[in-house]
Amino acid sequence: MTATPVSPYQGRPGGENVFARITENVARIAEAPRPPPAWYVAFGISVALLLIFISNLALVAWFGVGLWGTMHPVAWGFPIVNFVFWIGIGHAGTLISAILYLLRQDWRTAISRFAEAMTVFALVCAVVFPGIHVGRPWVSYWMLPYPNQMGMWPQFRSPLEWDLFAVGTYATVSVMFWYLGMVPDFATLRNRAAGPVRRVAYGIAAMGWRGSSRQWHRYERAYLLLAALATPLVLSVHSVVAFDFATSQLPGWHSTIFPPYFVAGAIFGGFAMVVTLVVPARQFFGLASLIQIRHLELMNKIILATGMLVGYAYAMEFFIAWYSGVTFEQFAFVNRAFGPYAWAYWTMILCNLAAPQVFWWKAARTNVWVSLAVGIIVNVGMWFERFVIICTSLSRDFLPSSWGYFVPTAYDYLTLAGSFGLFFTLFLLFCRYLPMVAMAEVKATQPSARVR
Amino acid sequence: MAKPKQAGPVTPRPGVPNDDVSFDGLAPGVCRIATSAGVALLAVSVGLGATEGDGFRRFLHSYLVAFMYVLSLGLGALWWVTLQHLVGARWSVVVRRIGELLASSMPALAVLSLPIIASVLLESDRLFPWVDPSFMQSQSALAAKRPYLNPGFFVARWAIYFSFWTALGYWLLRCSLAQDATGGTGPLDGARKVSPLAMIGFAITATCASVDYIMTLDPTWYSTVFGVYYFAGCVIAIHSAMVLIVVFLQHRGRLTRSVTPHHFHDLGKMMFAFTVFWAYIAFSQLLLVWYANLPEETVWYRVRSQGSWFFVAVVLVIGHFGLPFFGLLSRHAKRHRASLSFWAGWLLVLHFVDLYFLIMPTFYPGGVSWRVPDLTTWLGLLALFVADVARRARGRNLVPSRDPRLAESLAFENS
Amino acid sequence: MTVHDEPPPRIVAPSAPVLHGLLAEYDDAATLLAAARRVREAGLERWDTFTPFPVHGIDQAMGIRSTVLPWLVFAAGVTGCLVGLLLQYWTNAVDYAWIVSGKPFWSLPANVPIAFALAVLSSALTAFFGMLVLNNLPHPWHPIDLEKRFARSTIDRFFLLIEAADPRFDSVQTRAILDETGPVLVDVVHEDTASPFRTPRAVIHGLVVLLVAALVPFGLLAQARATKSRTPPIHLVRDMDAQPTVKAQQAFPRFADGRGARPAVGGTVAREDQLDEHLTRGTIRGAASRVFPPTVAADRANMGAGRRAFDTYCVPCHGYVGNGDGMVAQRAEALAQGIWVPPTNLNQDHLRRQPVGQLFLSVSDGIRTMPAYGPLVPIEDRWRIIMYVRALQRRSSATIADVPAAERKALE
Repeated sequence: MTATPVSPYQGRPGGENVFARITENVARIAEAPRPPPAWYVAFGISVALLLIFISNLALVAWFGVGLWGTMHPVAWGFPIVNFVFWIGIGHAGTLISAILYLLRQDWRTAISRFAEAMTVFALVCAVVFPGIHVGRPWVSYWMLPYPNQMGMWPQFRSPLEWDLFAVGTYATVSVMFWYLGMVPDFATLRNRAAGPVRRVAYGIAAMGWRGSSRQWHRYERAYLLLAALATPLVLSVHSVVAFDFATSQLPGWHSTIFPPYFVAGAIFGGFAMVVTLVVPARQFFGLASLIQIRHLELMNKIILATGMLVGYAYAMEFFIAWYSGVTFEQFAFVNRAFGPYAWAYWTMILCNLAAPQVFWWKAARTNVWVSLAVGIIVNVGMWFERFVIICTSLSRDFLPSSWGYFVPTAYDYLTLAGSFGLFFTLFLLFCRYLPMVAMAEVKATQPSARVR
Repeated sequence: MAKPKQAGPVTPRPGVPNDDVSFDGLAPGVCRIATSAGVALLAVSVGLGATEGDGFRRFLHSYLVAFMYVLSLGLGALWWVTLQHLVGARWSVVVRRIGELLASSMPALAVLSLPIIASVLLESDRLFPWVDPSFMQSQSALAAKRPYLNPGFFVARWAIYFSFWTALGYWLLRCSLAQDATGGTGPLDGARKVSPLAMIGFAITATCASVDYIMTLDPTWYSTVFGVYYFAGCVIAIHSAMVLIVVFLQHRGRLTRSVTPHHFHDLGKMMFAFTVFWAYIAFSQLLLVWYANLPEETVWYRVRSQGSWFFVAVVLVIGHFGLPFFGLLSRHAKRHRASLSFWAGWLLVLHFVDLYFLIMPTFYPGGVSWRVPDLTTWLGLLALFVADVARRARGRNLVPSRDPRLAESLAFENS
Repeated sequence: MTVHDEPPPRIVAPSAPVLHGLLAEYDDAATLLAAARRVREAGLERWDTFTPFPVHGIDQAMGIRSTVLPWLVFAAGVTGCLVGLLLQYWTNAVDYAWIVSGKPFWSLPANVPIAFALAVLSSALTAFFGMLVLNNLPHPWHPIDLEKRFARSTIDRFFLLIEAADPRFDSVQTRAILDETGPVLVDVVHEDTASPFRTPRAVIHGLVVLLVAALVPFGLLAQARATKSRTPPIHLVRDMDAQPTVKAQQAFPRFADGRGARPAVGGTVAREDQLDEHLTRGTIRGAASRVFPPTVAADRANMGAGRRAFDTYCVPCHGYVGNGDGMVAQRAEALAQGIWVPPTNLNQDHLRRQPVGQLFLSVSDGIRTMPAYGPLVPIEDRWRIIMYVRALQRRSSATIADVPAAERKALE
């Protein structure tokens, strides 16, 4: 894979002290004249998928949502599955940055920037789907409360309207959090810039940051405040997504544990995605000294722990469905496990519950390739979780005469694949041009930075 | 009741420099006062319960609330200590022993739970209507629950819960005491290795216990998040209790150097975080039940939102969430003993109101029917719980003084 | 710095550089911390330190007062929450109140998620932009940028700058203080009088023009809202306005029989068919009935209901008294497109003579260009409509003999 042995990213970073070496290690990636060949291969594939994505969206906008397999009774097919999947991915970023920051987990500095970037890009992917699923994306702005000639206001008692506010707020806060963290690193890149284009570009992004202590004081307070605000926000966003389902009366959807269960699932899937992205990045860009095996192991432990929380929710749903004594509740869960979608259900169980169990062993936790494999498997499993929730419950509700079976079309599959193109295109551009690791934060956690 | 297994005072106990970490001097007094207060209050409650002339029905209702209260302290402590081992926490070493002493109170709690078990074994529907077979045949949804809701399985589950909790509490304390004798992290390895599995066991047993003792009071009602709701209350209660215990000990000259405002700050953060978490879970449950408006679910909130129960609900929203949220928001409030212990006491009282709100409306759907035994039973059981913990603290250090991470915990700084 | 009325001539030797301050460089954070304490003790006020990362303890060493930012954020959060509640209350309970899923107009539990989101949004925006404003960012130019070594301030070096504007600044003494603190280097920083890095004036002018131009669309929007126009609105996406539809009784070649309206599939039985023939089809043993079904009695209640249904479904074409001059008909006449089949005047003699059962069938199944109202109007209501039509017909041919004797006097 690493075809060029003289890659600018391999080898020890130079510098007379640890701070200089950290800077060198991270900044040389953004400053290198060209990225490793693997980057070009990945970028080519991603852009191809992105083009497929754009053309699919255009086709759906032109011809209508009839191109999809979404059809009564499964009116929430792939688009909503994909929406919930991507929005879930978008949670680990803020979690790592905000909650681990509040819990004083210094190891987060190694991966926080990745996770935040991932959050922002996953949110970009996520918002596309409800936008296109409404059928007439050009009037999605009707969801906003603005005085209009129709004399109407949005329906604020609808969970879908809550979604707009929750996801919009989360996207705004995530972008600010990500950008705020990068400001000092942009200043570093500006000060190291060789040519005027880079200096001006990074200079504008850095907004004249010079690292004054009086500025650091307010900066740190703002960062802490944003972290403290983002923590309940990250819980609320996926809870609101859970409300979309759970406020209904549909068996299998209406369950009071849905909000915390969705949050746990989002953290679970998000961490798996971070591992999936971090492992190749540290291999190709020579970041092994910053993103260490220790960090990977801690992430794997969190994957295991949140996997168990998700397992708890699965078990509670089954138990209470049986305990409720309500025929429809009981049928919904029997149907999940043994009905026409049993294949999806057991895929989900294998990926989400069984696969992470290898992390009970330290050898598996500390192996990058096992971590990568489990990360990918968990992401597949989390996609199937949403598929199972949406399709099994909708396809067989109270009235057997209205039962159906959801069959996705080629457009469904291509749109799903294309959304990965959008995500990875953005992510690869991030790897190429932006500081991949929070340099200032990593420096602050070094032993020589702790003085009194 | 647990007996101190370790002959503690034989080996000289190393302490913490410049600090008094022994409970020996205080133990007899605390034990005597707490035991006599507990026995007296319970006697008053039983006496008043007898005057009701309803075959102790009313007394049992008060007793269930009081028991679930002390159980939440024990479960909270069990969870907290397990968590410290699971994540390898260092800041909390100075207060870990207090948690361990609280967590090993399960044998006493098992004894205190006997009146509830007796009510089921005697086939009395004073507490649980499902004990009555004819009631369970009255609806098809209830008939389907017979395999779970029957006295035999109920008592079997009770036995499983308490044996697991007793074993876990005892094991956690024993590992820690062994460390007092030998030093090093070695003795804690067992606790650390067991902690993930213990956590899974805890999640299952605590959830089922909350379902058994509270949710089944209304056998038709169900909510998947109920276990988490009770758990959130346990966590608030245990952190508040630890704050009050440490403040009391410091008032009596113990732990004055070991526990600093930095530790109080972290305990306060946990109180704050779980106050928000409690509100989140409570709100999620309310919103989903209210929104879907299914008859079998919404009836639970219907009785709780009418008449005088509505005012209790408002008190909970404001007192259990609103006021402590703003009260604990500032870091100064969390670092000052006076303000933090005020909020700890406040939350412990509101936790009682919360449990009262969970349990009592099922028996008295018409409105709050307050009786003196509600208060005296609660305080009585609390006093007996304190007496049990204090008895076990005798002859032991209040700080695991030979934990190698103690120095780090003592020097812990909270920004 | 002096202000020149005219740009100084280029040939003149660079004017004497104006002192901005003294810059000391340190190679570790501990030394900087000690230096900061020393400078603070010296009573200096206008000075700052520059570090690649936030140094723990520098706030106390420099005596930086706690920022007001948390209070701003708190206020913004409370405001956002209240605005969120008010917005939802006003829009859903007052200005545009409508019932959704049986919930009260003002449903507090349902309003919590958005109130919470707006509280977080406003406080987060305040935290972010408040920090920028309080920190005086963006701040593109600063005299220390001219110092080459200062570039390392964001990498691995620590700097301390004392401004010459400080009242206690003294170029000799202040330098002595700095020298004592163990710096790598102490350097003089000059004001940036002739920097080549100033923003060109043209760029600023361009930005101003752009800003003004950006307001134009809003102005046009405001004008459009305030004025009236006779031209139809521009409709970029036609949505369903222009989709092909097949109207009832129209030809449609896609089907084999060429008819747009589809007859019932052979062998299907409508639910109503199992009921009474008289009530559902208006016939008695196949012949159109001349009497109303026994279940629809000629009373005031039925007549009232018939009038309401007639006013709802029939008036748009047939008009309020059934003369065939409803608003739709008038509009169609006005358009004069020549393809319009006018609605029937119900007050004609042949319709007066028609059996009620036949009128009922016309309403139920449609006739000529009139669509079938059977699927739309409940069966009893259709009979009540016929009852009201009969009343209208009676009205249009009424004579004085029709008026009850008691009231006839009043008329005469």
